[in-house]
Amino acid sequence: MSKVFGSLPVLEPTTLAVHQGEVLTLLGPSGCGKTTLLRMVAGLEAPSAGTVLVGGRSPAEARSAKEIGFVPQAPGLLPWRDVEANARLLTELNRGRGRRAARDVVELLRSVGLGDFLAAYPHELSGGMQQRVALVRAFALGAPLLLMDEPFAALDEMTRADMRHLLATLCEETGAAVLFVTHSLAEAVFLSDRVAVMSPRPGTVTGVVEIDLPRPRDPELEDDPAFFTLERALRHQLHGPGARR
Amino acid sequence: MNRRSLSVFAPWLGMVVFLGIWELTVRLGDLKPFQLRAPSVVIRRLSEEPGFWWRNSVVTGREAMIGFALAFLSALVIGAPLAASRFAERATQPILVLIQVTPFVAYAPSVVIWFGFGWRPIIFLTALACFPLFAFAVIGGIRSTDPAALELFRSVDASPAETWRRLRLPSALPSLFPAARASIGLALIVAFLAEQFALTPDGLGVIGKKGAAFNDGDLVWGTVFCMAILGTVALASVGLAERWVLRWHASQRGVVGYRPRS
Repeated sequence: MSKVFGSLPVLEPTTLAVHQGEVLTLLGPSGCGKTTLLRMVAGLEAPSAGTVLVGGRSPAEARSAKEIGFVPQAPGLLPWRDVEANARLLTELNRGRGRRAARDVVELLRSVGLGDFLAAYPHELSGGMQQRVALVRAFALGAPLLLMDEPFAALDEMTRADMRHLLATLCEETGAAVLFVTHSLAEAVFLSDRVAVMSPRPGTVTGVVEIDLPRPRDPELEDDPAFFTLERALRHQLHGPGARR
Repeated sequence: MNRRSLSVFAPWLGMVVFLGIWELTVRLGDLKPFQLRAPSVVIRRLSEEPGFWWRNSVVTGREAMIGFALAFLSALVIGAPLAASRFAERATQPILVLIQVTPFVAYAPSVVIWFGFGWRPIIFLTALACFPLFAFAVIGGIRSTDPAALELFRSVDASPAETWRRLRLPSALPSLFPAARASIGLALIVAFLAEQFALTPDGLGVIGKKGAAFNDGDLVWGTVFCMAILGTVALASVGLAERWVLRWHASQRGVVGYRPRS
């Protein structure tokens, strides 16, 4: 598929597949169209050419069947709902079409360390805690596809590290396919099974790097030489001759 | 007495000093009764006929509240489509501004002719005067909806009705209350003056006009006191409603930081 905004090509023809139970990361510089690609998969934007299929269906159909768990860049919490009600939000909307296999919200909140904050309001939480609620909100849906648009971009470095460790665990617990967008090498390596590296605008996937680190992923992995090797491989793929066409 | 209880006490102290200076000015300044009444005299007049003042205050207060509520509800109904379309908003903006800037007393006699004497023109004028403020607040409030939350609603294909009730309307609430605070005073003023055009038998506006016509300072200043009390009670009610409805909002934050219950 490809995408053109007016006369500006944002995304060159790109083909990509995410498999069930896999974390695929889109890694690229800002403005390379990785968010646009994610939004097309979510059905929030239409491709200019080509098609997107989610489990064999169009994104619009997948959306109305509530088969997509979306984590936006900003947490997007509703300030008048407490933590528990915010985490429940997606399961409460479009109820008629809801999936039955939704996960227990309170248990999920406990597992991300928010057990004591069920009745807190978003303004009482730190940025990292807010983003954890946003993660639980998407996971609670029990959707087979999770789409995450740089969810940790606004957080400080220490919180980001905690968050990627937490997210790795959450992903390993679900059998869902996860499409994760980031410009952080560490996030890409730690979270993914495969990383699709994108070139600057108009973006396209210049290569896919396999991350053959063992699962479950352990935070200590980040001190492992294999981790650095993979980071270097991604960096070269980003800036290497392959990126300039 | 510590600093906190002193600051609670301060508004009352301010009122007592104000009324005291007023009382002294009248007593020492040898003013004519119609120019200015001493507060003690006004309060005595009010307490001599409480039923009379209560009845008339209720009439005017009720007119103002009904007009205020009608303006609020119609702004919700009309503001929603206006918020959805820039074109519609721009097309209606001059009309809203005209309503806002034209003094209603100028066209009040015509409104009385349309609706006939009695409560109808009063309610209409009150609602009309409050409407633009509420409409602007609804439009601005709905537009301020968090785009991330909107996308989230789209990502599970939430219906327009769901998005409206669970997202857009609550998002508009914080901007509705400043409009409500401004409108509540306006509603009372309009109701008071509109009564004088609509020739209703009761109401503080009618009493005030009678007092002015007969140079009856007791009536005039009794009306002033009742309107002041009405306005204070109305404004306090809006404030209480705001504190309750917006208890989640930044403007109402008392203590920063959440303490988990143990």
